Amino acid sequence: MNAIECKGLSKQFEKNFALQEAEVKIPENRIIGVLGPNGAGKSTFFRLLVGQIKSNTGEIHVLGQKPSWELNHQIAYLPDRARWYLDYSVEKTIEYGKNFLPGFQEDKAYDLADRMKLDASMMTASMSKGQEAKLMLILCMAREVPLVILDEPFAGIDMIAKEQIMETIIDLASEREQTILISTHEIAETEGLFDYVVFFKEGKVILSGDVEELRGQQGSLQSIYRELYR
Amino acid sequence: MEERKVGSFVFQIDLSQPLYEQILDQIRSSVARGEIGLGEKIPSVRELAISLKVNPNTVMRAYQELERDGLTEKRRGQGTFITTSKDSIASFKSELAERYCLEFVDKMKSLGYTEKDMIHWITHAKGVNK
Repeated sequence: MNAIECKGLSKQFEKNFALQEAEVKIPENRIIGVLGPNGAGKSTFFRLLVGQIKSNTGEIHVLGQKPSWELNHQIAYLPDRARWYLDYSVEKTIEYGKNFLPGFQEDKAYDLADRMKLDASMMTASMSKGQEAKLMLILCMAREVPLVILDEPFAGIDMIAKEQIMETIIDLASEREQTILISTHEIAETEGLFDYVVFFKEGKVILSGDVEELRGQQGSLQSIYRELYR
Repeated sequence: MEERKVGSFVFQIDLSQPLYEQILDQIRSSVARGEIGLGEKIPSVRELAISLKVNPNTVMRAYQELERDGLTEKRRGQGTFITTSKDSIASFKSELAERYCLEFVDKMKSLGYTEKDMIHWITHAKGVNK
């Protein structure tokens, strides 16, 4: 079954088309790389999935439904450039997750914090960019929901933090049935993570498929990326 | 290409080739060469996926294939182990040797060499006896 199906999806901001007649099909229970240069339409696509913006034309089906606030109970979404309240500690953040986020598992959240070396008493204000990114990731990944959307979770983060985030995602994916969409520009470092990939260009999907098959036919995702966008 | 040690295995992962085949081939070779002992426990899918930073489904596929080969056995609640049967490994090793020979012979035939030429090449090709 497909977790996401979109037909003829267009979204216009003033005169510019962020998405133009995009056709997107994404299978469930995979880790999907959503790739493409800045401005290709990736973040707009994500925002449409969670109903933050409305499309001009086209159809969207997420987990078999149209986007809505009810559907968002089943989606954990980490927006691009997400920041967190400066006066929250890790502990208070997890408390927040428990109280407000559907499917949030407190034990899991503490496990993840431990794994990523975030101390419970640490305050957001004192965190590095990588530590804050990990905290935001915990808010998403501690949720037992069928769909997770991470918009650039690796942007501007040091190598060790990046590896810890990747390990956490792999760890959770091996015990759960979950569809995880991840957009990133760090293809060389993260491509092993993906088993399905969608390439966006100028508001359209120009290539998608099983990563292992694509590797067999065309080589690494990095080299496919170069061919598509150079 | 980066080398990664996981338990008794050393992996070299090349992102331009299917990862599942590389994981499979490299475990097969270590078993065939006897680098990992009979009945030894191998890393779980999760452990290997995390160490290699690779999708768990990819590792799972390689593990299923190893089990079909008869090289590994799953024990309930304990994990995956290298087979305890020397015969299974020996017969798998002969199968692999045969497959490699056929590949070699096919390639040499495509260059127009006869069987006699091939034997000459095997013993005299540069680097063979290193």
